[in-house]
This record gives sequence, C-alpha cells and structure tokens, in this order.
Amino acid sequence: MKLKSLFTSSFFLKSIFIASLFILIFISTFLYKHSIGLIDSAELLVHTHKVHLELEQLNSALKDVEINQTGYFISRDTIFLKSFRESREKVAKSIHTLNSLVDDNLTQRNNLDSLQKLITLRYNILFENSINLTDSIPMNARRFNKSLVEGKIVMTTIRDQINKMIDLEKIYMVERQERYDNETFFTPFYSMMLLLFSLLVFVFSYFKINKDLESFKKSNDILTIATESMKHAEEIGGFSSWQWDVDSNTFTYSDNQYRLLGVEPQSFVPSMEAFIKFVHPEDRHIITNGEDHVVNHQRPNAAFFRIIRNDGNIRYFRSMGVFLNNAEGHKILIGINNDVTEEYLISKSLEDRNHELEKSNRELASFNHVASHDLQEPLRKIQTFISRIYEKEVEGLSPTGKEYFDKIQAAANRMRILIDDLLLFSRTNKVEKAFEAADLNQLLESAKQELAQAIEEKNATIKSDFLPTIHAIPFQIQQLFINLIGNSLKYNKPDIAPVIKIECEIIRAADYAILNKNTNEAFYKISVSDNGMGFEQKYSEAIFTLFHRLHNNSDYPGTGIGLSICKKIVENHHGRIMAESIPGIGSTFSIFFPIK
Amino acid sequence: MQNEIIRVMLADDDEDDRLFFKDAFEEIKIKTDVSTLNNGIELMNFLTQPDIALPHVLFLDLNMPGKTGLDCLKEIKGIDRLKDIAIAIYSTSASEEDIEETFVKGANIYIKKPHDFLALKKILEDVITLNWQYHTSGLNRDNFLLSL
Repeated sequence: MKLKSLFTSSFFLKSIFIASLFILIFISTFLYKHSIGLIDSAELLVHTHKVHLELEQLNSALKDVEINQTGYFISRDTIFLKSFRESREKVAKSIHTLNSLVDDNLTQRNNLDSLQKLITLRYNILFENSINLTDSIPMNARRFNKSLVEGKIVMTTIRDQINKMIDLEKIYMVERQERYDNETFFTPFYSMMLLLFSLLVFVFSYFKINKDLESFKKSNDILTIATESMKHAEEIGGFSSWQWDVDSNTFTYSDNQYRLLGVEPQSFVPSMEAFIKFVHPEDRHIITNGEDHVVNHQRPNAAFFRIIRNDGNIRYFRSMGVFLNNAEGHKILIGINNDVTEEYLISKSLEDRNHELEKSNRELASFNHVASHDLQEPLRKIQTFISRIYEKEVEGLSPTGKEYFDKIQAAANRMRILIDDLLLFSRTNKVEKAFEAADLNQLLESAKQELAQAIEEKNATIKSDFLPTIHAIPFQIQQLFINLIGNSLKYNKPDIAPVIKIECEIIRAADYAILNKNTNEAFYKISVSDNGMGFEQKYSEAIFTLFHRLHNNSDYPGTGIGLSICKKIVENHHGRIMAESIPGIGSTFSIFFPIK
Repeated sequence: MQNEIIRVMLADDDEDDRLFFKDAFEEIKIKTDVSTLNNGIELMNFLTQPDIALPHVLFLDLNMPGKTGLDCLKEIKGIDRLKDIAIAIYSTSASEEDIEETFVKGANIYIKKPHDFLALKKILEDVITLNWQYHTSGLNRDNFLLSL
C-alpha cells in the first residue's frame, strides 16, 4: 500500500515536472518573441524620430540656404556665398541620410524623390539662375524678380513636401508609439507571469519532494528497524537465513548463520564446500542429495541434519528453502536454517519415554493376560475340586476340618470376585473407542435385569425418569448402572426396603464446582439416590479410589473396585461423578455427561 | 442322533480339565463316547486320518501349545469332510476378542469353563442335548456364548 503510493507519487511528480517544463518553455519563448517585437517597435520608433529629425534638419538647412542667398543678394558679400554653399552641402547630406533612412518605406521614398526633384529644381534651375543673374552686369531686374518669385513658389512647395513627410512620420510615430506602449505594457505582465509560475512550480516541487523525502525517510526507518529486528529475531529464535544464487552458484549468509555454525560472522566466504565441512560426515549425503535435487529438479526439499562445530559440539539443523527469481532473472534459493537441537533432544527424550510407556503398557497387558488366564486357571481348579469334595467327600471330614474347608471355599470365592473385578477394571481402563448412540433407558433396563435377583431379595423399588440417548460405550454405561444400583442394594438400611431413584436433568457447567466453570456447556446430570445407610461426606472422594473400603469385609464383602470402575467409565465419557451422602438418610451419586 | 451314541471329543492340554470333562460325562445320564486329545497337533493328526468315526461335537480349548484352538478351528472349517462338525469353544477366558474371532471363524458355541463341577455337568449336558440343527441355522452372537 505504502509502496504503491510512493510509485504513484513518483509518476505524478514526473508528469508535473514535464508539464511545468513545457509551460516554462512556452512562456519563455513567448516572452522572447515578445521582447524581440519590443526591440523592433523601439527601433521603428527611433527610426521615425530620426527621419523626423532629419527632415527638420533639412528644413533648417534649406532655410539657411534661403537666408544666405538673401544675404548675398543684399550685400554681394562672398561670405554669404560661402555659407550658402556650405548650407547646400548640408542639404545634400541630409537628403543622402534621408535616402538611406526611408529606403524601406515606399511612400516616404516616393515623397523624398519628389522632394529631391523639387530641391534640385530650386537650386539648379531657378536658384543658380537668380545668383547668376545677380552676378551679371547689368542686372536684368525683371528676370531677376521673376526668378525670385519662382524660387519662392518652389520653396513653398518644398516646405509643403517636407511638412507632408513630417506629418506622415508623425502619423507613423503615433502608430508606433502606440504599439510600443502596448508592448511595454504587456512585457512586465508576461515576465511576472513567468516568474510567478516558476515560483509556483518551485514551491510545489519543494513541498512534494520534501513530503516524499519524509515518507522515504519513514519507510527507510521502518526498513532499518525491520532489518535490525530480523537480525535479533534470528539470534533469539536460533535460526539463520541464506541465499543461494543457483545460476552463478554464489551464497550469501546472514550473520547468525555463522554464529549457528559456531564461528564469527563473515569469517569465511560462504560456499557449498565451506558449509559441508561443518556437516556431520554421516549427514553430508543429505546436503549433497539436496543440492542435486535443487539443481536437477529446481525444487527444494526440507532437510534435517547435524553439524559439528569447531569445538566438537553437535547441533541439529532443519533447513528449508523456497525459490525466487531476482531482478536479473537468476533463480535464487532463499532458505532458513533452524537450530532445533533443544527441540530435537526434548522430542527424542519424549520419544524414548513413549517407548518405555508403550513397553510398560505391553507389560501391563500381559499382566492382564496372566491375571485372566494363568491366575484364573489354578483358582478354577481349586474351586472345581472344592465343589467335588463338597459333593462326595464332605461327610468324611471332622467338624473342624469342615469348618476350615468352608473358610477355604470362602477365600477362594473371594479371590474369584477380586480377579473378576480387577479384570473388569482393567478392561474399563483400555479405552476402546466404540462410541455409539446409546439409549440410557435400555441400558438401565439391562442393568436391572442383571440385578434382578438382588432386587427381588431386597424387595427394592427402582423409580426412574425418562433418560436421554447419549453418545457412549454401551456396555460401560450398563456396568455403571449395575455398580451404582448394586451399591445402593448392598448398603441398604437393615429391615428397610431400598428405594432407588434415577433422575435426569440438563444443567450448565458454570453452576457446578466439579465441572469447568469457565464454560457454559450444557451437561446431563443423572443422579442415582437411595434411602440407604449413607456415609460421612468426608469420604465422598476417597470412595472412588481403587481398593478403598469403608466397611469390614465380614460385614459387607467387596473388593473396593466397583466405584473406581464407575469413575473410570464416566471419565472415559468425558464426564464427572460425585457423591453426596448423609449417614442414616441416604446417598446420591451424580453423573455428568456433556451434551454434544 | 438320539438312537446312536453321541461321540464327544475334547482337545485340551490341561490334564485336570480333561479329567473333569470325562468325570462330568460319566455322571451325565446320556450315552456318550468321550475321547480326549492332549493338544491341537494330536487333534488334527487324528481328524485327518481316513476312515475314522468323526465326533458329533468337538470341544476346543483355545490356549494350547503348538496349534491353538483357533488354528484348529480354521483348519477344520477349511476341510470339506470336517467342516460340518459342531464345534464348542471351551476356554478359561471369555475375552471379547476371543469370542468375536471364534464366532467369525465359524464356531457354534462358546463355553467359559465353569469353576464348579455341578455347573460343568449342567453346561455339558445342555450342549449335548442342544438341538444343533436349530442352533446352527439361527446362528447369532446373542446365543453364541452359552450362559450358565
């Protein structure tokens, strides 16, 4: 996002720069042309002034000629004649100058031509005649006067012609002055515009560049921090990064790569050969195979291998990589090495422990086998022989012998119960994941059938709510009911018929300390309560431990396994069991099954 | 079947169990011809002889050295001449795995060795008098394990 905005900014800046450049060039060209025009019009104006001035000079020179002529006529002094000739030269010079000045103006040239003709006429014909006439003795007064009058007429025409030319130049001057004024009026405006626009571009560029610079600085800071944090992360995380340019077969290592190998950063030139020296000789094939795989298949594999540091310390590395193409189109394998020594050793010790556990589990299983077969077999024979003796030989025994024999039989029976219960317990321990939808009503019914004889003997009443169907291991739930109801039947109050109630309700985990209070999960609470002899509440947890008994064997024969089995079964179903009791009133066993 | 003597055979490596078995049949009022063999190998050697009178009911102990009861069961069910012999598994254990496996392999009934002689007599009598025709046709898991 940030990068993109930078790119667009540089594009924007380029466009602005090019546009400004064009506008500046345009304005400058315009201004240049305008200046040229200004110079032209100034020159024209000067030119007009010059023509005007020259014409005035011509006029005054002509006047000088007239005056000198008149002076000569009156005084006959040759001084006047000399001045007269000088004035004529001046006139000629003026005309010459004017000729070159009006060269480009056709109207004025024509005017000048006619002026020149008039002047020549005045001088050459009439004027010269007048002087010559004056000089001739005797003077022809009539011709002289006539010549003077003609001269006067020509002179007036000349003046008119000059005035005409001056008037024309005046018109030009007004025109050119106007044009010049116009141009001088716009010049500062255009210059100002150029200046202002340039200033605008400069100011804009400054702010834009400044802004970009700041954002570049910011990105640069972020980049610096990222690079730094990457370095630290590598050190903390015990990993390193490397790059392998496969095409040019060059390597780049991060500083931590060297540290992981147990050497100072940049202490050798990275290469496959240099690296492989660190690899455990037994694992070198992993690296070379991996290298071949990368070169031949262009696909990196994760590798796990050992390296040996210079101090002999063995470390376990996991290496992973991914292919990228760099700007020059080279294939670059970017990878990380992870020092997983600690994790590896932990997982290895866990694995070892797991093996031990498996071994001890197998031993336990074979112990179960021993208990189920090898222990049962001799006991069964003892019991069978006992039954045979009772059948045939019991009459031959003395009363004491018979009493002892009864005790042998009782002990053997007790051992039988113990073995059966133990087997049952160990079978409950072995969690077979045979979960299925189980109708608790049916399982309760089956349990009651199993206990039918005891129920009848004790004249017990069993009342039960309608129970749900849950996801369970059916035979275990049946066993649970058998054990709990069996308990209630066994520990009844003497001479009072047991009343056993099985109730079910849906509760929330948060309401019961025994359940995880942090969840609001729903549970089925199934309670089995009786009106039996009960027990003291302080035993409510101890009764669930294996072989724990509250009563003498002679009063209530038992093995102390039944409730342990119950607890195991409930735990197998991710549930909880608890007991509440008041001595002499009765007990309630509550089972919680999660509703899924 | 009622007219002729029922031939009963037991393969069990335990001497005491063979004794109980024979004693029990002696006390049963039904006429039977009981023979016992000491292990699976002996049993199969006997059964595979030609021209012998095959037993009507064969009791197989599971846990025997050399050839287990299960091995024998599999072999018998693979031999045409023998596969119709009614087979009763006769074992100390009643583990789910054993019951399941022998049922699948075609045993007709599963008896857990009782620990009372009277119970033994009763169960053997029940097995002998069982209507095998009926029992084999309505084969199912519920009546496979013969309860005492």
